[in-house]
Amino acid sequence: MLSLKAQKLIDNYLSLPFPGVEGARCPYFNNAKLHARGQLRVLIGKGTPQEIVEEAKIISIQYRAGLFDHDGHCCLHGEHGEKPSIASPESGAAVTEAGADELRKFLIDHNLGVDCSGFATHILRAHFLETKGVDITKKFIKNISAPWWRKIIMRLRPMESLGVRSGYANDKNTEKLKNDYAKLQPGDVVVMLETGPAFVPTGLRRGEARKRNHILIITDCDGQKIKYVHARAWSSEGQYGHGVNSGEIKITNPGQGLLEQEWTERSPSQNDLFHQGQANETYLEAKQAKVLEIRRIKF
Amino acid sequence: MDFDGIFSIALLQRSLIYLMAATVGAFLWAPLLIKLLYKFKITRQAEYDFTLKDGERSSKVGTPIMGGLLVVLTVTIITLLFNWERANTYVPMGVMGISALLGAADDLLNIFGRKRRQRNIKHTLQLIKVHKIWYMKLWHILTLPWIAFGQLAATLGSHPGRGIQVHEKLLLQFLAGAVTAWWIYFKLGPQWHSLWLPFDGQPFLGWFIIPLVIFLVMFTANAVNIADGLDGLAGGSLIATFLGLTIISWALGRTSFTLLNATVAGALITYTYFNIKPARFQMGDVGSLGLGALLAINAMAINRTILIPVLGFIFYIEIISVVLQIFFRRILGRRLFKMSPLHHHFEFVGWNEEKIVMRFWVIHAFFVIVALWLALY
Repeated sequence: MLSLKAQKLIDNYLSLPFPGVEGARCPYFNNAKLHARGQLRVLIGKGTPQEIVEEAKIISIQYRAGLFDHDGHCCLHGEHGEKPSIASPESGAAVTEAGADELRKFLIDHNLGVDCSGFATHILRAHFLETKGVDITKKFIKNISAPWWRKIIMRLRPMESLGVRSGYANDKNTEKLKNDYAKLQPGDVVVMLETGPAFVPTGLRRGEARKRNHILIITDCDGQKIKYVHARAWSSEGQYGHGVNSGEIKITNPGQGLLEQEWTERSPSQNDLFHQGQANETYLEAKQAKVLEIRRIKF
Repeated sequence: MDFDGIFSIALLQRSLIYLMAATVGAFLWAPLLIKLLYKFKITRQAEYDFTLKDGERSSKVGTPIMGGLLVVLTVTIITLLFNWERANTYVPMGVMGISALLGAADDLLNIFGRKRRQRNIKHTLQLIKVHKIWYMKLWHILTLPWIAFGQLAATLGSHPGRGIQVHEKLLLQFLAGAVTAWWIYFKLGPQWHSLWLPFDGQPFLGWFIIPLVIFLVMFTANAVNIADGLDGLAGGSLIATFLGLTIISWALGRTSFTLLNATVAGALITYTYFNIKPARFQMGDVGSLGLGALLAINAMAINRTILIPVLGFIFYIEIISVVLQIFFRRILGRRLFKMSPLHHHFEFVGWNEEKIVMRFWVIHAFFVIVALWLALY
């Protein structure tokens, strides 16, 4: 298992800590399309759950969305002029699942969410700070080659500077593991480089296909099953279904590569369990990746 | 410093008369100003207000702005008629006028102007590359630094709207600061080439005083402008500041400035009366930029430059909160405050407007007293 703090952080991403609201899963957001520069880290997919909640409150007040009352409690309005349902810890009332969905929609419409490397960095930073007393962000950026001015920016904004390729697929930071699944530890990562569809989907420029990188964090492994969490966006989940999610890889062929194992992942938005095949897009991404590796952070 | 024999009761009496005259005079024409502002629809628009809070601040939409004209015009008329001295009040009034005009243009353009678009560096570089007419190419090359400056200002948080844009405003404020610096360096005498410090310090700065003066005029004008975000905040704080300046000028025996500061304080009393929540009008840039510049120049003219941040304590805190927020946001990627300027942070925290304004008044008044104490050493 990951450390308690890392586990708590994952729980917070799976259910953002909005007062009185349960089940508002953190959406996926990647800055690649917006290309925002010099922006708040929470607005470029690198925020913590707490930062996402705070930013949502600020945006709600600024743009008069009215999602929160003066004390910061969630205050969701019914669709047809019904009375707003107010969630407060004192009253013990919790906003319903529909309310959590409404909140998620608000977050997605305002570009609030987390990308895969931002999510992984926050979790692993918390984990290794607690277990080894090492801040991996500081350690990682030292090993990224960049011009001097870029190094300064990386020191100031380490969380935003770490990508899958530069941070986690970097041999100075992590080492590649063999397919000995019994020896995997929580905190190891599955890295996918140059993945994504071969065709050019809408919104992408020519040449951007198969240029995505992705990362999964291994949370548990007993030699039979690998449990992982990640931040991802499946095309089948549409505009509002994506976000942080967990899944597992059942070791059916020990000694074989990851693609030879059985991947399953539940889609919370479709409320269905997806096994290996075209529908499980995480597996599909792994299959499409030019590089698929399990890596361990070096200390 | 030995003040024995300087304190003049007659001057104090005169300054109080100016103060009362300004208060009463402003009261007499304030209803007319409100009527005119409503008539010409010079009122607050919601379009570019990014701080409107549901329920509370939305009620401010439709309130007249440019209420600062009440102070600027009252002070100008009284000074022109009764306190016009080429050696003393000429330049401060001129600088206040330039800044107020700039603010007025911004206020009016924000309401009646067309939405402005800003050309970015990438676009300009493209034009340089593709233009076939050589003089147009040259023109784009020459204006590139200005475009870059504009883009930098926009990146640092200004929302390009209808009014004067930040980089244009800074250029005009620089001119106002340059006029002040010219006056202080060349006209007021060698004593102003040194920076007065409390407890008998007097370091010689020479021409270094020029950039310092320009910076302080620009910074103070913008500081007051930024603090003018809640009903009564800027007005009430400026009363304390100008009363403090009146007392210091009186203690130093500077007749013209004692009277000028007293006049401003008097007009501000009336302004604040109408500006207290729910405001009948708001100051607008015409008042905040003009009075901010006047605050700086009046403190410099009595050789108490170093006390400007103390006399304008709350304004400086507000502008520093904005600078820090931009630094944290753009460089570190985090928020220091929930929102800047500082008064908006407290609004987000849950303080109501009256509580913020009154607490800021009290803190500001205390620091004006500190400035008074320091000025007497």
